[in-house]
Amino acid sequence: MRGYILRRLAFALFLVVAVSSASLILTELAPGDYASGALGMRARPEAIERARERYGLNRSLGEQYRDWVAHAVRFDFGTSLLYDRPVRELIPERAANTAVLALTALAIATLVGLPLGVVSGSRSGGAVPHVIRAASVVLLSMPPLLTSLFLVFVAARTGWVPIAGMRSAAVPEGGAFVDLLKHLVVPAAAIALPLAAMFERLQAQAMRDAIVQPFVVATLARGVSRRRVVWRDALKVALRPVAAVYGLVVGTLLSGSFAVEVITAWPGLGRLMLDALGARDVYLVAGCAGTGAVFLACATLASDVALAFVDPRVRE
Amino acid sequence: MTGHARIVRRSIAGLLLAGATVVSAACGSPNRAGSGSTPPAGQKSAPTRGGSIVGSVRADPASFNRLVAADRTSELVSVLTQAKLVRVNKTTQQVEPWLAESWTADRDGRRYTLTLRRGVTFSDGVPFTSDDVVFTFAAVYDAKVDSVLADAMTVAGRPMEVVALDPQTVSIAFAAPFGPGVRILDNLPILPKHKLEPALQAGTFAKAWTTSTPPADLAGLGPFVLHEYMPGQRMVFDRNPHYWRTTTDGAALPYLDRLTVELIPDQNAEMLRLDAGQLDVMNEDLTPDAYGQMKQAARDGRIQLVDIGTAIQADSFWFNLKPGAFDGDPRAGWLQRDELRHAISMAVDRKAFIDAVFLGAAEAVYGPTSPSNKDWYWTGTPTVPYDPARAKALLASIGVPPGARFSVLVQRGRPRFERGAAFIRDELKKVGLTVDVVALEGNAVVQRLLKARYDAAYFAPTITDTDPVNQQDFFMSAGPFHLWNMAQAKPATDWERHIDELMQRQSASTDAAERKRLFDEVQRTFVEHEPVIYFAARHLYVAVSSRIAAMKPADDLFPVLWAPDEIAVRR
Repeated sequence: MRGYILRRLAFALFLVVAVSSASLILTELAPGDYASGALGMRARPEAIERARERYGLNRSLGEQYRDWVAHAVRFDFGTSLLYDRPVRELIPERAANTAVLALTALAIATLVGLPLGVVSGSRSGGAVPHVIRAASVVLLSMPPLLTSLFLVFVAARTGWVPIAGMRSAAVPEGGAFVDLLKHLVVPAAAIALPLAAMFERLQAQAMRDAIVQPFVVATLARGVSRRRVVWRDALKVALRPVAAVYGLVVGTLLSGSFAVEVITAWPGLGRLMLDALGARDVYLVAGCAGTGAVFLACATLASDVALAFVDPRVRE
Repeated sequence: MTGHARIVRRSIAGLLLAGATVVSAACGSPNRAGSGSTPPAGQKSAPTRGGSIVGSVRADPASFNRLVAADRTSELVSVLTQAKLVRVNKTTQQVEPWLAESWTADRDGRRYTLTLRRGVTFSDGVPFTSDDVVFTFAAVYDAKVDSVLADAMTVAGRPMEVVALDPQTVSIAFAAPFGPGVRILDNLPILPKHKLEPALQAGTFAKAWTTSTPPADLAGLGPFVLHEYMPGQRMVFDRNPHYWRTTTDGAALPYLDRLTVELIPDQNAEMLRLDAGQLDVMNEDLTPDAYGQMKQAARDGRIQLVDIGTAIQADSFWFNLKPGAFDGDPRAGWLQRDELRHAISMAVDRKAFIDAVFLGAAEAVYGPTSPSNKDWYWTGTPTVPYDPARAKALLASIGVPPGARFSVLVQRGRPRFERGAAFIRDELKKVGLTVDVVALEGNAVVQRLLKARYDAAYFAPTITDTDPVNQQDFFMSAGPFHLWNMAQAKPATDWERHIDELMQRQSASTDAAERKRLFDEVQRTFVEHEPVIYFAARHLYVAVSSRIAAMKPADDLFPVLWAPDEIAVRR
């Protein structure tokens, strides 16, 4: 088990280094740079050149990368060209905001998707499984991007919840936490609904497979109530396939949340990265991408370890 | 992400309801109407003190130090929190006394003596004196600071000489006679010496007042003070209790107690918030599509649509005229010829262009100055008839082969440019020219232009001041914004040399009539060679909430917020 965890940790580290390095190099290779973009077309060529020199953008790509790596190993990810502040100062707050959004969406998706999957997978007849399946197919076919557009539109028309942002300018009645919850409704639902549909489909299929297992049939034959068998015995088996994909799902959750953040003006990593990309702020782009990779690596690692505990075959 | 953002914009636009009739604003005043702090046309009662509004920007500020940050949001922070010695009133384009209440010029227009207002204090209560003016100039010219405003504060390529004669008097000398005089001072916000002098002395001024600086450490002479900055979310500005400006009847300004600026990524999201009552003032003027969508909301009284008039600058179409740019290219014989540009100007039906690109809301333009720039427009600018037959003959006369091909660079994700370039492509096809429209991300476009690696481009230069001296970088051959052949060591053509001479003379002249005559001659020479082809200048509209009771909308980077102390709300 220890060796397995070490292998997964090494892969997680490789993932973070590879993603942040690739994003830094690709941003460097893209046409234009921070100096020409920030000073604009009206700037004198010598002013642009001075700015390049000041930011170190006149050095070769290899030199810049080497310098960045040398600092990154000491947890110094450079200074944002755009905000003139250390990247490690800018990222944590935004990463926390993204985490709040992603974890809320994950919680909603799990609490809604899994039970519905159990219901639709354990019942063969009646309208309920059909309705659940149809709703899931519709939600699955709508990416978070479109779902968020729809929800933003509904929020704008009804005024029930804020359209965008994370907090109100003035703390409203009910306090800051209630205000945050209200602001979470649109972006969290936009991410959670397609995810819940995915969980429902996976769980339903796993439940259908579990419910025909001999030990389940035998338990039912002994007269144990169907509800008890489904929610206690069959569910234990049916959760394994879902747990196996949980880590990957968290990866899609993060990439999905980036797009939703932009639409709903959620001040997370996605917005920060978009601004950094637009400005060709290479160090901030690398920092955002690296942080995204850390999220993904942690989630995958947690998922892999959890799976290894419940299924010894995985360790091999 | 760019693709996503584009989809978002289009999708939200599709979700919004389109309206039917034009509703003019209850508080809207026509372009360049009036000055001072009087309520706008249509306003029945005087604006009252109090209340708050919500505005928007697209991105976080790069810095709270305007001298080192060129981005739009940093500039807005400066507009709200700082003040200049003089102000160019964007509705009249006239220079107004601001921190300097009066000034006198010597006979040759090289030295100005400015009298500063008495009793003015910074937002932290420290008195404002001539030392602050001298300090700000020292900072902007400091080589270590490498200020983004340094070029804009030079005359004939040299810095001004600024001397404090006494606490209320400053002498400013230009290196050469300068026609616009103190107008140049509108470019520079005055900063507090008592706050920033240590940083300048330590050589760390460029790192002073970053976005992590606590608001309490900032001080300014503007109508508002920064109360709170939440990165990625909003900036909250409170009324500056020490603000010096009052209305004509002595009431203290600004009217508003608070101004919140939310970060909203695009105009469609802004429109939704405006319509939902969560936003009062949009970041910029409406796109033609957005105008159509907002009409219904205006008709229902939920918002006000304000007509600002025609833009002072038209979108520009130009060819790469850098000598040698097409060496070895078989098209070199005709791609840089005047006749090609004249033919293109004649081959595009401007009326149809206006209908297709601006949905009818624009005015045909034939020269470098829009007719809305009434002070400087050359009334003799010849109109170019729509004449495809003559265009074809002109093309044949310079040996353009049938099906000749060139590409046009446009900025991706800007529907106005993409639609404009597509229209030009379709029109030129009728005269036998094949145009490839190449849409690139903004930074890539700038890079290609700077390196002169393109055939032609369609773009919109940002010009917010009507005086031609502020456009020298465009007209002068050595200018970095001389679009068709940037930053020339010496003029590549005789007509560019002629324009250089005219611009130098009009810049140095202090006789307004002489300056106008010289700039007319610049425009005449320009249209004769047409290095940039203009088709139309768009009509500008801004949308504001129905709560806004007073404001001064104008053709500016910040159409409403440029005069923040004169905005008032209904209470």
